[in-house]
Amino acid sequence: MNEVKKQEALENIELIKKLVLQTKMHIGHHGGGWISIIWGVFCFVGVAGQRLFIPQGALIGIWWIVLAVIAGIATYLTVKKYMKSQPARIQQNYIRYFLQFWIPILLLGYTLATFIALLPSLSNHYISPVILLVVSTGYLMIGFMFYKGILYMGIIGYIASIISTVYFLEYSDIILGVLFGTGLIITGLAINKKWKNI
Amino acid sequence: MEEHIAIKLNKAIHQKARLGIMSILMASKEANFNFLKDRLKLTDGNLSSHLSLLEKEKYIKIKKKFVKKKPKTLCQMTEKGHQAFEEYLENLEKIIRSTP
Repeated sequence: MNEVKKQEALENIELIKKLVLQTKMHIGHHGGGWISIIWGVFCFVGVAGQRLFIPQGALIGIWWIVLAVIAGIATYLTVKKYMKSQPARIQQNYIRYFLQFWIPILLLGYTLATFIALLPSLSNHYISPVILLVVSTGYLMIGFMFYKGILYMGIIGYIASIISTVYFLEYSDIILGVLFGTGLIITGLAINKKWKNI
Repeated sequence: MEEHIAIKLNKAIHQKARLGIMSILMASKEANFNFLKDRLKLTDGNLSSHLSLLEKEKYIKIKKKFVKKKPKTLCQMTEKGHQAFEEYLENLEKIIRSTP
């Protein structure tokens, strides 16, 4: 017969709770912090290159595409590294999520940029604000439904793109690139710090 | 005077490492060998012996396959394991509730 004291039962309940929580959090861990940092650096390098080294015209589009491919490869390698220890079911779910969420956002960004670049009556300065407005709208929609944090990012993106377009159109790409890049890097660092403490 | 409650706890689950394995499988439905090893900080041999015992009780299913020529061991909780774990949790609750 097993005689178990209350203390031992409480300890076991505590252990179960801890492991279940850690496992659930680990399942969701796909290197999101590093992915955020990669795309934050992408924004910085993209805007800096566009302003400092690349002459105006079609080369800007190529510059951003090359950067996106590099960032995409870095993202893929990061996800692959974190997915190694995950069960096959989670890996498949994540690949589906990645394809359904990020690929349409990237395609949307490039389609918008191409359309604006092709419109002779519209300045290329509007590319960054329009893309940020569309992405911010997406954040607002997701934020209203699911996460407050994303809602705040959407609001900040909206306000920043309106202010920079109305008052600082000449520098809007720098302002929005730095703002978006900094936001992504800070978010990435915060996510990584949170994971370290688990 | 401290009151002791005699409630039979499932020995196969009650051991700390096996309790850990069952808790993780309860949360993730399936987990591979390395994941369990990392989370529970067990050696290969130690984890293998605990997994064998749980498999013998039919609480878990162990599948072995090769991915890119590397062996992969995948563990899943069975329906019987699920029931046994829930019963174990109920017994723990009973102990806590009935002890002052």
